[in-house]
Amino acid sequence: MGSQELKQELKEKIIEFLNLIDTKPEDIKDDQPLFGEGLGLDSIDSIELIVLLDRNYGIKIKDPKEGRKVLVDINTMVDYIVKHRTK
Amino acid sequence: MTKVYVTGMGILTALGDSLESNRDGLKEGRCGIGSLEGFSTRYADSLLFGEVKRSNEELKKLLSIKEKGVSRTSLLALHAFNQAVQEAGLTNQNISDKNTALILANTVGGMCLTDELYRDANQRDSGSEYVASYDCGSVGIYLQQKFAMHGIINTINTACSSSANAIMYGVRLIKKGYAKRAIVGGADSLAKFTINGFNSLHILSSGRCSPFDVNRDGLNLGEGAAFLVLEAEQHTSDKKKLAEVKGYANTNDAFHPSTLSENGDGPYLAMEKALKQAGLNPDEINYINTHGTGTENNDEVESKAMIKIFKNKVPAFTSTKSNIGHTLGASGAIEAVYSILNLLYQEIYPSLSFKESIEATRLIPEQVYSKAMIKNVMSNSFGFGGNCSSLIFSKV
Amino acid sequence: MFYIHHTVCISPQISFPEVNLDNLLTSIDNKLYAKQVSSADIPPAILRRMGKAVKMAVSASGPLLKHYTNLDGIIIGTANGGMEDCIKFLNQIFQYEEGVLTPTNFVQSTPNAIAAQLGFISKNKGYNITHVHRGLAFENALIDVEMLLDDNPAHTYLLGGLDEISDYNFNIEYLCGYIKKEIINNSELYTGKTTGSIAGEGVAMFVVNNNKEGAISILKNVKTIHTTDKNEVLEVFKEFLFNSQLQNDEIDMLLTGENGDERYITYSELIESVVPDAIVARYKHMLGEFQTASAFALWLANYILQDQHVPVHMVKKQTISKPLRNIIIYNNYQGFQHSFMLLSKV
Repeated sequence: MGSQELKQELKEKIIEFLNLIDTKPEDIKDDQPLFGEGLGLDSIDSIELIVLLDRNYGIKIKDPKEGRKVLVDINTMVDYIVKHRTK
Repeated sequence: MTKVYVTGMGILTALGDSLESNRDGLKEGRCGIGSLEGFSTRYADSLLFGEVKRSNEELKKLLSIKEKGVSRTSLLALHAFNQAVQEAGLTNQNISDKNTALILANTVGGMCLTDELYRDANQRDSGSEYVASYDCGSVGIYLQQKFAMHGIINTINTACSSSANAIMYGVRLIKKGYAKRAIVGGADSLAKFTINGFNSLHILSSGRCSPFDVNRDGLNLGEGAAFLVLEAEQHTSDKKKLAEVKGYANTNDAFHPSTLSENGDGPYLAMEKALKQAGLNPDEINYINTHGTGTENNDEVESKAMIKIFKNKVPAFTSTKSNIGHTLGASGAIEAVYSILNLLYQEIYPSLSFKESIEATRLIPEQVYSKAMIKNVMSNSFGFGGNCSSLIFSKV
Repeated sequence: MFYIHHTVCISPQISFPEVNLDNLLTSIDNKLYAKQVSSADIPPAILRRMGKAVKMAVSASGPLLKHYTNLDGIIIGTANGGMEDCIKFLNQIFQYEEGVLTPTNFVQSTPNAIAAQLGFISKNKGYNITHVHRGLAFENALIDVEMLLDDNPAHTYLLGGLDEISDYNFNIEYLCGYIKKEIINNSELYTGKTTGSIAGEGVAMFVVNNNKEGAISILKNVKTIHTTDKNEVLEVFKEFLFNSQLQNDEIDMLLTGENGDERYITYSELIESVVPDAIVARYKHMLGEFQTASAFALWLANYILQDQHVPVHMVKKQTISKPLRNIIIYNNYQGFQHSFMLLSKV
C-alpha cells in the first residue's frame, strides 16, 4: 500500500474509531495536529488511537512518551505504521 | 443545628478485617498490596492489588451466610456493617427502626461477578444465582432485607468519591431530622470489569503505587468496606463519641470525564466549602488524608489545590492508598475511618513508597509514625466525572 | 417541599418537544423505547462519546440549561446509567480476552457520567450527585434536593431521573421474572393475570427551587419505604397523608405505578381504597417499567395539573369532574420499594 492510500485508510479508521461526527477524511490535513487546537482530541482519544494501532496494524506502544511522539499528526502516525506494522 | 457524631466504625481492607488490625498495619507502615489470588484474570500476576485475603467461602462461613446469590461486595459490606453497629451498641431493633437510615456507596456492585454477568446478559434461558445482584443498589438492598430496615435507604455512585457522599447524605438526613441515626459507608470488591477498565486508561501502576512521588506511575486497585454509625447529638448522651462530622462539601470540576483540571478547581472548591461549612480556618486543619491515588494527574492537581488553600502551610498529609490501594466506592468511608483513628489516638501513620517530591509542588507526605496533636482532620475523595468531595472530622 | 418551574421529558410517548398524550404509542416485543430526538444542539465533540442514556439526559436538559444559566447543582437518579456502554465494555473484555481495550465505554459506563456530563456542558462546579438505589434512585434525588433547598433557600437545582433499555438489562430482568413471558401490547398491560411487566425507558428533568413565583407546581411531600408487608404500606400511606395535612377527599387524583404484574396489584388496590373520591390513573402502559419510572410520573402529574386533562387511556376509575389540585403518586418497584409523592398546583 502506498503512503497516500495508507493515509486515507488511517483517516477513515480514526473517524470511525473515535466516532468523529460530521468529519470527513478530507477534513483532516496530513500535518494538522491531532490534539489541542488541531483536531481537538484529548487524553482518552490518545489511548483510543493506541488501541487502533494495535488492532489494525499489530503495533504495541507501551510507553506513553513514545505514544506522544507517534500521535502528533497523520504524517507521524503513518511513518510509524510503515516502520512497525506487524499486520 | 444538631451536631452529628460517629459512634461506631467497622472496616475490612487488605490490612485486615478489624479496626485493630488496620490500625496496627498503618502504624507499622505495612503495605497490603500484592498479587491477586481470589479470581483469575490476565493481570493477576503482572499487576498488584490491595486484596482482602479472605475467600468468599471464608467470608460466608465467618458471617454465617447460607443463602445463595450474595455477591462478594455484599459480603465485604456485611462484615464492616456488623462491626460498626456492634461498636455503636445498636440492637436489631435500633437497626430496623424507621428512624435509622442506611446510606451506602458502591461503584462495582455485583459486577465483581464479571463472568456471570457476561453470561446472564447474553442469554434468556436460565440465570445464575446472582442474576438479581448485579446493580449498585443490590448491596444496600441486601443489608436492608437482612436487617429488615425501615428508614430511608439509599445508594450513591459518584465513582471514587461515592462513600464520602454517602457519609454526607447521612449527616444531612440527621440534621434535617429525617433520621435519628444513619449507618453510612461503602463497599467495593475487585472485579475483572474495573481491572480492565482502569488498565484501559493506562493508570494502573506497574508496581506498588507511590503517591506524591515524582516518579509515580499510577494506582493499585483495592477492595474493602467501611461503615460508620452516625447519631444525632441528642441521642448520644450515654454513648462513646468517636468524632464529630464537622464539615462536608461536594463540588464538580466540570472539566473532563476522567482527569482533573490543571488547577484543580473541583478539589479546591470541595476543600474550601468543607472548611466554610465546618466554620474552620485552613490553619485549624492538623492533618489531611488525601485522595492521593498515585496517578500522574491526581497527585499533582491535589497538591496544587492544597497549596492554594493552605498557602505555604500545608498540614501533615499522607495517602493511605499506599497501604491498601484504591478501593473506589469504599475509599471515602475507609479513609474516614482511618482519619478518625488519627483523631482518636492522636497519631499520624506513615505514607509509603515515597522517595522524591513532585517538581512543581514540592509537597512531602509524612513518612514516619508520629504522635501529634490533632483536632481536625480533612479527608479528600475525588472521582471520575469531576466528582469531588471533602469531609472534616473533629475531636470530641 | 419545593417548587417545580420547568420540566422536559423524553419518553416512549409524544412528550418532547410537543406534548400529545391522548394517542397512545405502542410497544414492540414488550419494550417501549424512548422516542429519538434531534441531537443537533449537542456539540459534535461531546456527542461522539455519548451513549443513549447520556444523550437522552443532555437532550432533555438542553432547553433547561439554555434558560437557567446559573444553576447551583445537578442531582440525578438513575439505577444503571449508561448500561449499554457498560455491557459494550464487558463484551470487549471477553472478545479481546482482557487485551488492549478502548477506555471510552468504561468511562461512559459509570452511572455518574450523566450528571458529570451535564456539569461539564453547563460548566457547573456546584453540587453534583448520582443516586442509584434501584427503584428509589429518583426518590432519593428528591429527598436530596429537598435538604439542599432547606440549607440554601435561594438556590436553584437541576433534578432528573432516567434509565435506558439495553438488550442486556432486558435479558437480566427477564431472567429475574420482571418481564412478561408472553408478548403483549402495552394497551393491554393491566388486563392479563400473569407476572412480569414490559420494559421501558425515558428521562424527565426538572428545574426546582423555593420560589413560588412562576412555578407550575409544588412537591409537598415525598416518602419511601422498603417492605413487602401490605399493612405496613397502608400505614405508611396514612401517615403520609396525615403529615401532608390533607383530608382524604382533598386528593383529586391518585397516579399509581401499577405495572401489570399480578403479584403487586394488591398494593395499588389498597392505596386506592384509602382515597375513594380520587380519580385513579395509571402510567406504566405509556412508559414501561423501569427503576426511575417515577420521574416520568412526576413529570406527568405536573403536566396534568397544568393541562387539567387526563388522557382516557390512563383512567382506571373516573369520579365526578372537578378541578385537579392535588395529585398523589404511588410507585412500587419489584414489590418491595414503595414511594409516595404529593404534587399540588400552585
